[in-house]
Amino acid sequence: MRKLGSVLLVLALVAASAVGLAACGTSSSGKEGGTLTGSYASFPDYLDPQLSYTSEGWTALWNSYTPLLSFAHASGKAGSKVIPGLATAMPKISNGGKTYTLFLRKGLKYSDGTPVKASDFPATVERLFKLNSGGVPFYTSIVGAEKFAETKQGGISGIKTNDKTGEIVIDLEKPRGTFTDELAIPFLALVPKGTPAKNLTADPPPATGPYEITNSEPGRGWTYERNPAWASANGKLMPQLPGGHVNKIDISVIRNDSTQVNEVEQGKTDWMQGPPPPDRYQEVKSKYEGTQFRVESTVSTYYFWMNMKQAPFDDLKVREAVNYAIDPRALERIYAGSLAATHQILPPGMPGYEKFDLYPHNMAKAEQLIKEANPSDRNITVWGDNEPENSEATQYYQDVLNKLGFNAKFKEINADNYYSIIGNVNTPDLDTGWFDWFEDYPHPNDFFQPLLSGESIAPTNNSNFSQTDIPELNAKITRLGEEPLGAKQEAEYAELDKEFMEHAPWAPYGTRIISTFVSSAIDLDKVIFNPTFEDDLTSFQFK
Amino acid sequence: MAGVPADPNLAAGPASSPWRLALRRLRRNRVALGFLGLFVAIVVFVIAAPLWADHVAHTGPNATHTLERITVGGEKRDVVNPEGKPLGPQWFGAGGKFFLGADSRLGRDEMVRLMYGGRTSLIIGVVSALITTLLATVLGLLSGYYRGWTDSVISRAMDVLWAFPVLLLAIALGVSLAIGGLKIGPVEISGGSIWIPILIIGFVSTPYMARPLRGEVLSLREKEFVEAAVAQGAGSMRVMFAELLPNLWSTIIVFFTLNIAGNMLLEAGLSYLGVGVQPPNSSWGTMIATGNDLITSAPLLTIIPGTMILLTVLSLNVFGDGLRDALDPKSKVRFEAHAGVAATGAAGTEGLEELGR
Repeated sequence: MRKLGSVLLVLALVAASAVGLAACGTSSSGKEGGTLTGSYASFPDYLDPQLSYTSEGWTALWNSYTPLLSFAHASGKAGSKVIPGLATAMPKISNGGKTYTLFLRKGLKYSDGTPVKASDFPATVERLFKLNSGGVPFYTSIVGAEKFAETKQGGISGIKTNDKTGEIVIDLEKPRGTFTDELAIPFLALVPKGTPAKNLTADPPPATGPYEITNSEPGRGWTYERNPAWASANGKLMPQLPGGHVNKIDISVIRNDSTQVNEVEQGKTDWMQGPPPPDRYQEVKSKYEGTQFRVESTVSTYYFWMNMKQAPFDDLKVREAVNYAIDPRALERIYAGSLAATHQILPPGMPGYEKFDLYPHNMAKAEQLIKEANPSDRNITVWGDNEPENSEATQYYQDVLNKLGFNAKFKEINADNYYSIIGNVNTPDLDTGWFDWFEDYPHPNDFFQPLLSGESIAPTNNSNFSQTDIPELNAKITRLGEEPLGAKQEAEYAELDKEFMEHAPWAPYGTRIISTFVSSAIDLDKVIFNPTFEDDLTSFQFK
Repeated sequence: MAGVPADPNLAAGPASSPWRLALRRLRRNRVALGFLGLFVAIVVFVIAAPLWADHVAHTGPNATHTLERITVGGEKRDVVNPEGKPLGPQWFGAGGKFFLGADSRLGRDEMVRLMYGGRTSLIIGVVSALITTLLATVLGLLSGYYRGWTDSVISRAMDVLWAFPVLLLAIALGVSLAIGGLKIGPVEISGGSIWIPILIIGFVSTPYMARPLRGEVLSLREKEFVEAAVAQGAGSMRVMFAELLPNLWSTIIVFFTLNIAGNMLLEAGLSYLGVGVQPPNSSWGTMIATGNDLITSAPLLTIIPGTMILLTVLSLNVFGDGLRDALDPKSKVRFEAHAGVAATGAAGTEGLEELGR
């Protein structure tokens, strides 16, 4: 009994010490709480889950807006695994791959206290269509979705829900091998029924994730605070998702990326989204690699698109000539170490990637092809954004076009608005331009369906900038998209990559190498870099 | 017609016209003449751009040389090294190529871009100043001569324009016109055209010149020579353009030179912010913006175009001041009296002129 008393006393002391340490906010595993400050070089396209379609936007939205499914909060290949989000489990797929059945966890709430209901799911999908979001092409295979896209009325018949049981049944017109991934991207992150079908970037909708956006000043920055519903309900109901370490996150837009670097070095901000500018890249790498800086490879393709629907790029010879004329080595140098040259659609790291180069740099051949094509329309507008290295890459491209005998004019657009402008097919003179594409999910269809399928050409938020519409390749994309991804399909995607490059709708030039750069106050080893969402804000922890 | 009142101290006989007297006064102002010389040198420098590009640098202002190597003293050098750092100034080490180095990771010749960029900046400065002068003169004459509702409408419109910070207004116009360009009837200007910054700058600067001109017209229209012209049956147009306008020339010329300087600064600001001259075309403002990305590794890329802007604006401002003193010595009396300089007790114009120097 006395011995038991001593043991209890020791246990009580240990417990008291643990409580004391926790109260001090320090433990061997790092500090909880605090305010994380970060910077973006430009404001994301949208802070609205149904609209955002950039990696910057998804980094910002991932920990606030949760779809029925989600991706594992992990770095590397492990981060490509789809896991349940608001749904209790992975979907039950039946009816030959055409019916997906999921159940919503009971007791979930939005950050404003509204209960999350199964009927919010069809409302979210409808909102996506009403907004003519860039994510529309992913979901047109839902029964009744195409009709809804046209009329914007009457609901989507292929989605049935039961608020009492939380059951959600989704019927597809045809099997879609990528649908599980597509249920896990932010486009289908649930928002309350009745959320206005307008851009809510300035006043983002209520959140279900660990952080809610409490203040948004478009163009300037935004703030996250802990979602009160996370602590009371959602966190316990979704233990597979991390709750985050810091209490508040302040993000500001700092247009000059060199200033972003300075502020991280001085500890004024704890993190910069995006890599240091090429001018500073080597300096930062040599000074901080391993302690505050880490190189991260992305699954991305940087390319120049050529509008196949209008002269002079409606001529295959002209597009081939451009591909021969572009020298990816020059572009590697422009990006000063933050780009690896490639000359194909699928990037390294994507299933189905097989290295090839149909158009090794050959200026003489390019000139010969232009001579043969003899295009009558030589006045070209070249579009690009104003991020320094992208702008320089586009100016290089313009110079190449001029060397081929075109009269190319560069139209530089602020990066905040670039996608909206070139994604509107009514914008005049959309001849050719720059773009980059980062994977939405680890499936090669993600590069072909939205970017190169004729079905994806949309009046606004169009992502098929080259307006590629080749019936036999459209059919192949559709067929492969219906099949689950396996070795056979990967081989076919590799073949599709070559087939598209034979039509040369793009002049691809590289895949991006980026980085995580944090202040000395942050524990770099704990920062997760997810292949789809990049830096995971829930993983940031003060030392 | 009444001319510019002659300075009695400089009157040299019945043959001396007011313009000749002004020229004589200007000649005595060596500082102003020195800066005029500097401005002329800058103009010659930028006019020589094609000669330098074709015969010395052998490259155009927008031609990229990212992967090229040049030989300097028998040694091969990258125009842009693998870490993305551009070549520094080579002076005549490579026969004049890359005299001031390469401009960015695109490896364009900085000297060639500086000369062509200067042409762009000067053209924008001069043409927009002409537009400002034309608009301001017409509006100032109409407003000051007719008074009444004409004056009210024009003055309130000027007040509205004046209410906007000039740079913000120019940025707003620049952003909105950058994509679709400008279409006025049959005239269509594309978004990337140099005419967009010219028109914007010319337009937003107008109130700053129109208001003082209006004030001067209000004063002049009460003078006897105007009454005499009206008594002789002269119509409004004739009074405005044949009687009043010649009396405004000295003010207009001074404003014009100062406007060139101000408009060049505004162009540099707009181009730096990305709403003026569109890349890859260079102006000194866009060159500073490009250099800003490399400020730590190649600071000269910012310093050199910045210095050119400084010298040009300084030369125009000092010369403009000298011109004002020469054309209208009384304005100097008024200005300095305002500034309290007249406290010396010197009553004569000549005395104040001497003090001013």
